Amino acid sequence: MRKTRPALVAAAACVFAVTACSTTEPEAAGGGGSGDVETGNGVTDSAITVGVLTDLSGPFAAGAAVQVTEFQAYWDQVNADGGICDRDVEMQVQDHAYDPQKAVSLYRSMSSDIVALQQVLGGPTSAAVLPLAQQESVYVGGVGWASTALQYENNQLPGASYSIQGANAIDYLVDELGLSEGDSVGVVYFVGDYGSDALAGAEHAAAERGLTIVPQEITPAVTDLSAQASALVQEGVQAVVLGAAPAQLASLVGVLSSQGADVPVIGMNPTFNPALLDTPAAEALLANTYSITSVAPYASDAPGVQEANALYTEADPDGALGWEVPLAYGQAQLLRTALEDACEAGDLTPEGVVAALGNASDVDTDGVFPDGLDYTQVGESPTRTVFVSKVSDTAEAGLELLDTYEGPSAQSYTFG
Amino acid sequence: MSYFLTQVLNGLSFGLVLSLIAAGFAIVFTSTGVLNFAHGSVVLLGAYLVAVTHPTIGFWAAVLVGVVGAAVVGVLVNALLVRNLADPNPGTAAILMLGVDILLLTELTRRIGNRVLPLGAPWGADVVRFGGIALPAGRVLAAGVAVVVFAGLWFLFARTRLGIGMRAAAADGPTASLMGIRLSRTGATGWALAGVLAALAGVFLTSFPSPGVAPPVALSAFLAIPAWVLGGFDSVPGAVLGGLVIGLVTALTVGYESELHVLGGGFGEVVPYLVMIVVLLVRPQGLLGSKEAVRV
Repeated sequence: MRKTRPALVAAAACVFAVTACSTTEPEAAGGGGSGDVETGNGVTDSAITVGVLTDLSGPFAAGAAVQVTEFQAYWDQVNADGGICDRDVEMQVQDHAYDPQKAVSLYRSMSSDIVALQQVLGGPTSAAVLPLAQQESVYVGGVGWASTALQYENNQLPGASYSIQGANAIDYLVDELGLSEGDSVGVVYFVGDYGSDALAGAEHAAAERGLTIVPQEITPAVTDLSAQASALVQEGVQAVVLGAAPAQLASLVGVLSSQGADVPVIGMNPTFNPALLDTPAAEALLANTYSITSVAPYASDAPGVQEANALYTEADPDGALGWEVPLAYGQAQLLRTALEDACEAGDLTPEGVVAALGNASDVDTDGVFPDGLDYTQVGESPTRTVFVSKVSDTAEAGLELLDTYEGPSAQSYTFG
Repeated sequence: MSYFLTQVLNGLSFGLVLSLIAAGFAIVFTSTGVLNFAHGSVVLLGAYLVAVTHPTIGFWAAVLVGVVGAAVVGVLVNALLVRNLADPNPGTAAILMLGVDILLLTELTRRIGNRVLPLGAPWGADVVRFGGIALPAGRVLAAGVAVVVFAGLWFLFARTRLGIGMRAAAADGPTASLMGIRLSRTGATGWALAGVLAALAGVFLTSFPSPGVAPPVALSAFLAIPAWVLGGFDSVPGAVLGGLVIGLVTALTVGYESELHVLGGGFGEVVPYLVMIVVLLVRPQGLLGSKEAVRV
């Protein structure tokens, strides 16, 4: 008992120390007006600072590094072309290591120095930061495609949500790959704001199109999908939709093939990685595997994607190729549009950037995302169109773009 | 019937790989009393060494490098960290192992990046067919290797002076030490053996039907923890049995999920822990663990 009081004192001291760090005067770092443009946190007469909360030492470090490289290359080019609102754009990059607690601490420490967050990488980390940023009216981009993020008016989803991807997968199977009413489709998914969201879209579309869904829930630790694939074959599924990661895609496709099940497999945006084509599952992947993405694949010949790839290969000639490159470029384009609109409206404060985002009804990104992204309706996906690609060993980064696609069930999906 | 057999064989063959990992947990615990939470990273390390060395030295030599490398890392962790602990408390050692796990995993994740490194196994995506059942060739080989390894472990612990010394050290370290058994030697042997088992398991965990070496492999190793606890913390045969039980129950639960949907989706993910809890409620010492004698 005698130790209780010193411990309490120490705990109280820690609380005060943490609180002291988080109560910086919002206007202390920047603020005031400059010419005709009102400015606030993160904007001085010569610079606009945007934050990046990413994972440079955790499970998504490699893909995150690709995106940071591309962000930097993009803003360097923007600055070389005269910047935004006569100011250079600077990035403040912090590593949250995929830890929500750390992400919140880092957000607290940087929020008074930035006008917007270019990216909060990761589901749990962005779920922790988004409500705080909403309270302070700070723009947040690059949080992935979970529908749960749509409820925040300060969030800019980079393309169609996972639920729209899932609904489009079912529509595509029926309209283009020959499935018909009465058929069944397996959905293998990670439970949570990614896989469960894709499942919700697929279930809606299956109900609309008269298909039956056979769900199989897995965790990221499961990289041998023998039992799941056998169960799906036993159920007689005519196709499989996957809301998981690349390791699960290769295992699922490989086992299905080994059991003689020649059924199409459609992966959601994060499921494909070109490194899979060096594994024993390559042959099976090339046979009948598709990818539905919210961002155009690396091999797209759209001008925005070509520009993204050129910037990236110049910045890092040996860097890993993949959909992360156009995604990072497109996210930077979206933030640039919001910053320019805010500048034009004369309000380059964090609140002004969020207001500019809420007025953006027809955003084009030169083919990186589907045209006409609409951010005026909070709670709605900015688009219902996705990119459909097929795994290919001739296309750069392993995905050959077949088409952009918007199915009837994706159009009728409602966000609840 | 052939579907049931397919799932049984899926479960048993994966269960034997879990057994290899669980036996490593048990050997380290019996030889040095440490709950080795860094074991998952050692599994990944073994597989990583095979993946990066096989293009230059060939697959089988690379397996040797992986096995030796994992064993050496195990021995070093024991010699440099565990034996120098100021406080020989199992709790302290377990926290230390969590730290080692984070360090190793962070470095391996940095090196692997978002790639999936192919292992270069000569059996590729081959399958073995008998009756109407197709099993990955790698899993059939894994089962064979696991049986040979477990026979070797039995021989070591039952028939050799070193193995008997390890058992004596596990049963009562101070007394064994007074009898002339060198605890440093039995401890190092235990950590080396666990490293060997981890690397072998890593090879089979990352070859078909898994695509290759990627950081989640370290997570897969944690699936062996229920097998280890279920079998009894200090029993290698218990760990083997635990692995088989967990593999079988998981495969059958996943395989018959549509019939078990009343239990909720994803029941296969929690069933290993449910089985573990039920067994521990009935037999607190696990299936084959030694019962702790308490004098009142």
